[in-house]
Amino acid sequence: MSLDVACVICDAPISLPADTVEDELLECPECGSELVVASLTPPLLEEAPQTEEDWGE
Amino acid sequence: MTGNLTIGFLHSLIRKDEKLLLTELDRRRGARVEMIDDRQLIAELNTGLTSGADVVLERCISHYRALHALRLYEAGGTLCVNRPEVAEVCGSKFETSLRLKQHGLAQPRVRIAFTEKSALEAIEEMGYPVVLKPAVGSWGRLIAKISNREAAEAVLEHKTTLGTYHHSVFYIQEYIEKKGRDIRSFVVGDKCVAAVYRSSEHWITNTARGAVASNCPVTPELEEVSLKAAAAVGGGVLAVDLFESPGGLLVNEVNYTMEFKNSVEPTGVNIPAEIVDYVIAVAGGRS
Repeated sequence: MSLDVACVICDAPISLPADTVEDELLECPECGSELVVASLTPPLLEEAPQTEEDWGE
Repeated sequence: MTGNLTIGFLHSLIRKDEKLLLTELDRRRGARVEMIDDRQLIAELNTGLTSGADVVLERCISHYRALHALRLYEAGGTLCVNRPEVAEVCGSKFETSLRLKQHGLAQPRVRIAFTEKSALEAIEEMGYPVVLKPAVGSWGRLIAKISNREAAEAVLEHKTTLGTYHHSVFYIQEYIEKKGRDIRSFVVGDKCVAAVYRSSEHWITNTARGAVASNCPVTPELEEVSLKAAAAVGGGVLAVDLFESPGGLLVNEVNYTMEFKNSVEPTGVNIPAEIVDYVIAVAGGRS
């Protein structure tokens, strides 16, 4: 069962798939903002943190 | 057959790569996943980090957090994939280059300098163009192709003035004309499981920067060089970046928290399944 949330940047509705996990990154289909799933219960999105210097492989 | 193993999944943000690994782990009967968020860890130095896990699979997005957490888990007696020594080497382009040299692997020429003046001198001696890279960094960030003296002076001054102290070690690499593509091979344990060409009109061919991945056949030469490069940095689960050159393959970098999401479909290889098999084998003392 999907969870309905709203983009924290543009307020567009976003449907989280049933296999979504906390801390998962996703992109708003409307505004393209990178978001992170801060919580599943209750479903809550936050703006993803900015890339830091030592990120990546 | 996985028995009853617990895999500690060390993470912060969950990218598509981590999601693919978690999906694969979920398919394995008898393998329990313990999610470990690196942002919530507090370590006691005397004991290190302890976990009920048989093995910790490191998938942090931050290199420094990964390195320290791995050290602490190992100090606490937990097996890690990859081992902290591997993270330390791969996290530094300088250390990686040293290891590659010690193991006789071909790589682009590299010079290291510590001041603007000596770096400029090194660049002029190497000849243009060269590539200036941060000693620590990835995704092609903050690397610069320097085509003439004016550009060299400007970039060196910017690095010295605006950069953190990490940027005061100048890693200067010979520019390799790679004709629009490089190769990334994926090594898991003692196997080179797949490889992709990363093609781009830009000279930076990271997929994080828009390069497109397509299947690259794993030739005997590619397999041999990839396995040797992986062994040179300590082995494990590694992505090896290579340039094609008239004299053969040159090893550019080796990555220890490898990103593979764009390579599963073009290669047809279930890379996360290969990784999970390896992690389970390590946990079971078979690798």
